[in-house]
Amino acid sequence: MSIQEMTSDLPAPRKDRKIAARIWSQAYAATEFKIGLAVFSALVVAAIFYPMFSGIDPTKMAISSKLLPPVFMGEGWSWARPLGTDQLGRDMLSRSLVGLRYSLLIGVSTTVLMVAVGAMMGLFSGYFGGKVDTVLMRLTDAQLAIPMIILAITILGVSRPTIPAIILVLGLSGWPIYARVMRSSVMSERKKEFVRGAMVLGATDWRIMFTLILPLVLPPIAFVAVLDIARMMIFESVLGFLGLGVQPPTPTFGNIIADGRKYLLNAWWIATMPGVFLVLTLTSINLMGSSLERARNSIYAGA
Amino acid sequence: MSTDPSSPGAALLSVRNLTVVAQSEGVRRTILDDISFDLKPRQILSVIGESGSGKTVLARALVGWMAPQLKITGGEILFKGRDLIRDRAYASRLAGREIAYIGGNPAGALDPTMTVGAQLVEKLRAVRPDISAKDAQDKAIRLLEAVKIPSAASRFHEYPFQYSGGMMQRAMIVDALISDPALLIADNITQPLDVTVAAQILKLMRELNEKFSTAILFICSSLPVACDAGDEVMVLHAGEVVERQTSADLVSQPQHGYTRALIAELPTLWANGKDGRDERQDRNRQALMSVRGVAKFYETRGKAGKAVVQAVRNVEFDVFPGDNFGIVGESGCGKSSLMRLLTGLERPDAGSIIFEGEDVGTASPARLRQLRRRFQLVLQDPFGSLPPQSSIGDIVEEPLKIHGIGTKKERHDRARAALNEVGLGDRLYDQLPTGLSAGQRQRLQVARAMVLEPRLLIMDETLSALDQTEQGKLLDLFGRLQAQHGFTYIFISHDLTMVRQVCSRIAVMYLGETVEVAPNERMFFDPGHPYTRALLSAAPTLEERRYRPEDCLLEGEPPSPIDLPPGCAFAGRCPHAFDRCQRENPALVSRADQALAACFLVNAASTAKAPADA
Repeated sequence: MSIQEMTSDLPAPRKDRKIAARIWSQAYAATEFKIGLAVFSALVVAAIFYPMFSGIDPTKMAISSKLLPPVFMGEGWSWARPLGTDQLGRDMLSRSLVGLRYSLLIGVSTTVLMVAVGAMMGLFSGYFGGKVDTVLMRLTDAQLAIPMIILAITILGVSRPTIPAIILVLGLSGWPIYARVMRSSVMSERKKEFVRGAMVLGATDWRIMFTLILPLVLPPIAFVAVLDIARMMIFESVLGFLGLGVQPPTPTFGNIIADGRKYLLNAWWIATMPGVFLVLTLTSINLMGSSLERARNSIYAGA
Repeated sequence: MSTDPSSPGAALLSVRNLTVVAQSEGVRRTILDDISFDLKPRQILSVIGESGSGKTVLARALVGWMAPQLKITGGEILFKGRDLIRDRAYASRLAGREIAYIGGNPAGALDPTMTVGAQLVEKLRAVRPDISAKDAQDKAIRLLEAVKIPSAASRFHEYPFQYSGGMMQRAMIVDALISDPALLIADNITQPLDVTVAAQILKLMRELNEKFSTAILFICSSLPVACDAGDEVMVLHAGEVVERQTSADLVSQPQHGYTRALIAELPTLWANGKDGRDERQDRNRQALMSVRGVAKFYETRGKAGKAVVQAVRNVEFDVFPGDNFGIVGESGCGKSSLMRLLTGLERPDAGSIIFEGEDVGTASPARLRQLRRRFQLVLQDPFGSLPPQSSIGDIVEEPLKIHGIGTKKERHDRARAALNEVGLGDRLYDQLPTGLSAGQRQRLQVARAMVLEPRLLIMDETLSALDQTEQGKLLDLFGRLQAQHGFTYIFISHDLTMVRQVCSRIAVMYLGETVEVAPNERMFFDPGHPYTRALLSAAPTLEERRYRPEDCLLEGEPPSPIDLPPGCAFAGRCPHAFDRCQRENPALVSRADQALAACFLVNAASTAKAPADA
């Protein structure tokens, strides 16, 4: 039988392109991906450039124009202060956007750190099993037993609460959950035939772990991690509330909300604006994430 | 009602002009075309067809279990005279009660979190709420005994994972029969089982058919099995019934061209004579792989504390360059453990595996990695053994990357060449393997294994997931590759007809031991070990058997590998066993002409040589 005959019953190839490129293009074809991308880029661009180009300093106080409402939202609003001002007359839009910078920085780097540490722990633990597993998992248990917030209070209370310190403390206390989840998915992948196949080909453990298993188990974890970005932003605000977060006058969502809490009744916008930006940011990330996930699933399922 | 179900000779199930089409992305494909047949009470009807002939769709249409893209566009399914297609409520009332269905994947059908007994009782009480828990349990145990589950009363309380594959399939039969159905639909139930177990299940189905007067629709893809199982055989081809006859008539005088071709294509064990397949080897050369006294033990923790499973012991054979070496045996005989030892995935506890002068069993990890370039493994499962997220090209390039061979361009070229050689066009290079059929996936696995240009390819049940036609194509491919690259193959298999077709020398394993090593024609025409004869007697074939099961195998289960008897492991089931067999374990001895067998009778009969140390 000739090769032509044998290949004739194969599915016709769609496009000869790399799989990653196909996932991107299929995800990009979805409207929600475009919406998410547009909102997210707008936020990032605004957070970087607005405070710089508008010339409005987010820390500049103007008591004369304090507690101005956002546009169309009550007495005394103005286009110069589109989202109103806080109790010290600082511009809310500018504060929110700069706050977004710091909160995003803290949220994303904490989560990345947390996932990286947890994923590595889980990967080694689940792949090698035995003694490695026992040691790493007891370490995880020990870490789990210490409440995150108490650890953070202790460490940040002793050292100075700088941004790198906050990232380090939050990141290093949140990883055990990822280690656990990672470990169990790695254990189930490790038993599969294709792993044995790779071993017979001569692949090193390292190669199997990082090129075969990791790409399979990471996506669902990354999905959860996106939600954790928000959780970490809130955690920073909890620390801020305790006076252990990023110190004023640097605005973060945490200390803006903490400030606005006292004025909730007569100036609701102070506490609300960071929340709105938080929702916009996370929703846009999630929209992109879910379209990517869907594209990925449909391409790997052969649709 | 059109027919009276109580009149003698009336059909229990009557399918009239059944047509099923598949509709996907605007393409309409007819899966079943105008199928009509009758099934009388107490009758066993086998349905046979190759994959894609629509037999599973037929089975599922009868129980109203259709994939969403399938639609019944015409015809009727009359059960006791009432149409199941129009009367959905009636159909769903019958499912699991009057009409029972067993599929080919018992491990997937049983709930792993419940004991087998609890599942059976739950099923029975769901169907018949009036029955008491005690009665239900009694009935389940009685049926477990009927399907020959050893010590059924205690097995009742065990979980599915404690059952072997054959026992799970029997438990599924109990699950189907427990509601006293009038019709049992058995879809490919023997395919995943060993020949001797499958033969027992078939025998059991016949007995049950007589005892419980259940009509059986037996669907399978192997003609010998279908003929063995059914009173009549219906041949399905491309969604149409091409022929229906009694088993004997079908074989002796097939009416339709398709059936004739099917019978002609059927590989045979004995019919083509003693056509030897080992003439091309030169045994004066050094063996490519030489296995001596290999053993592997596993520790398990059971109810009675720690136990040692002797998975592999006393394994000895030589594989010569250019050989097609076969290793056969039933599940649990240690084939898979041996495969892991031969490929260096695990280290033997005793003995040596010399490959090209080096011991695979004791080589350093780094050295073993280098050795792997020269021996490769092709795995059984076409779906699980390929990395799910790599493109076809990457899969084939991976071994080259692992061993750091060639530049990017060279790797690409070699991978494309390998893909072309196995008959997968390089158009598929950037595709995922998702759309490939089982046969195409096995070709891809072969391409991946051969891209390193190894000398030895180990095929671990590589063809067992494929149908007969696809198997034939792959065997042709293996032959072509061997002629071109001088590969040596080890085929690990439970399929005797396949081994008969391609292997030059064959080792037979029983409970971890090699009990016989012989050239192909010697093993099939003059086996030296009673177990080999038992295995041959159970092989599904349409030919006149050289060995009758009743002469070759005593009733009984093989001993557990945890608790092996001191003597020959086969003594308990061997009709020729004598007292020495109970005390000493025979070693492999030569029967001249390259044939070896581990049996005292060989000694007594052919040579006067003193028995080797047991």
